Amino acid sequence: MADPTYIAQVLVSGLGTGCIYGLIGIGFCVIYNASGIVNFAQGAFVMLGGMLTQLLLMRYGVPLLPAAAVAIVVVAAMGMLLERLVVRPLWDRNATMFVMILATLAAQIVVERATLLAVGDQPRTLPVFTDVPPLMLGRVAISVQLLWILGASALVIAALTAFFRYTLAGKAMRACSIDREAAALQGIPVKRMLALSFALSAALGATAGILITPTQYTAFNVGVPFAISGFIAAIVGGFGRPLGAFLGGLLLGLVQAGAIAALGSGLKNVAALSMLLVFLFLRPGGILGAAK
Amino acid sequence: MTLASAPGDAILETQALTARYGHVRVLAPTDIRVRTGELVAILGPNGAGKSTLLRAILGLTSTTGQVMFQGKPLPRGDAVAVSARGVVLVPEGRGIFGPMTVEENLQLGAYRLGRDKPEFERRLARVLELFPRLGERRAQLAGSMSGGEQQMLAIGRALMGDPKILLLDEPSLGLAPRITAEIFEKLATLRDEGLPILLVEQKAPAALKMATRVYVLSLGRIAASLDADQITSHEDLAQYYFT
Repeated sequence: MADPTYIAQVLVSGLGTGCIYGLIGIGFCVIYNASGIVNFAQGAFVMLGGMLTQLLLMRYGVPLLPAAAVAIVVVAAMGMLLERLVVRPLWDRNATMFVMILATLAAQIVVERATLLAVGDQPRTLPVFTDVPPLMLGRVAISVQLLWILGASALVIAALTAFFRYTLAGKAMRACSIDREAAALQGIPVKRMLALSFALSAALGATAGILITPTQYTAFNVGVPFAISGFIAAIVGGFGRPLGAFLGGLLLGLVQAGAIAALGSGLKNVAALSMLLVFLFLRPGGILGAAK
Repeated sequence: MTLASAPGDAILETQALTARYGHVRVLAPTDIRVRTGELVAILGPNGAGKSTLLRAILGLTSTTGQVMFQGKPLPRGDAVAVSARGVVLVPEGRGIFGPMTVEENLQLGAYRLGRDKPEFERRLARVLELFPRLGERRAQLAGSMSGGEQQMLAIGRALMGDPKILLLDEPSLGLAPRITAEIFEKLATLRDEGLPILLVEQKAPAALKMATRVYVLSLGRIAASLDADQITSHEDLAQYYFT
């Protein structure tokens, strides 16, 4: 029988990773809702967020918070650039979903290789945001970085909810997700909304990357595994539903943590993919039901 | 074919406008005009190409020919730019944003207005005066309203954009006769206020009551252009169907 403290400890760690997967999954949903595109370059944004923050902090001595803010803004701009250079030309030609997926995957590889050439293949990490001993909940240690992850995730979700509910741009993006043609007929600039969705999604990815780097590491090639996990989170939550994606991320993080505890870390991806298959067979609409 | 008389200058004019879906041409070269102060009805049987004509005017399908609006060509393939010129379509099936509230739908109708609050309030007051039921349901999800109320919302949302011409595609679709009459009464009010309207409609008697001119579309081409008062019986109209 496994030690309950150990299980609780592993699950707590899974909660943090799950939040990150959830944020990446929301990024998938934001773009999908605005355009019907599944953006597999999402992992590149995660990698760039951590990498740029690390470079600004370590190489240029910029304090952590401003470095993170600059990294998020720069990655958001890169998201818009990706939309303009790769996605929009294909979108204008009514390219199929398959072509879009391939194109964004190719963009992911280009970003990955460019990063390799620019900064090398050495893994990099960030210091924890608040360097204090972990809090103890009974015998379970809760790192302050986990609290940062939980708090930032809650803040991001609240901000996104407010954006979509109270701002005209947010409402216009929702309208695009419901009926793109009807939105265009009202004069809503659908293409600008597409660019905005890429910026938002990239900023989300970068935030996730910055939050997770202190507890793991970042390197030129961490993007694809994160993208796959975020994609699974989005499917499990109900594709196109941001809250669902976050719940899917949490579930994925907990399942992976449970698998690590019970079966060893080598089988965590098997557990993730098994969970995906279970959902696809038994509840293909995901936890909240697919948006489309 | 009879030529109709005109109350004003042409605000919208198609010149040899055709439309195709893939390799199939579904609309033969078509010339129609809508003049200021007119409500022009496009009538015809199912599959005659009425909705296609509206979509072709807006450049939403593959077209040849030209569409002139206020003397200048309308952009093709860019619904946002067309809307910015004041040409607003209430599409078949209404195209309302069902999971959003009535108020949010109306806000999005005035998207181009930006932050001009006084002008927004003026337009909103006008729409709610025309359709008081929308005022009662401001916080309700649009998709949960009845078909008639959704159609009112679709028209109200289009009016929030302050259109220079209103295009409507089958506004009576799926509605009870009483509701259709109510909606058409509102369209007649808009016509009397001087808003040019181009109406595609299958329920010919209802449309004829308020139209100033009629084009009859059959098998993808204009079979007749008539003053509405030239049609006094079903037979007058039916002779052009499938000709």
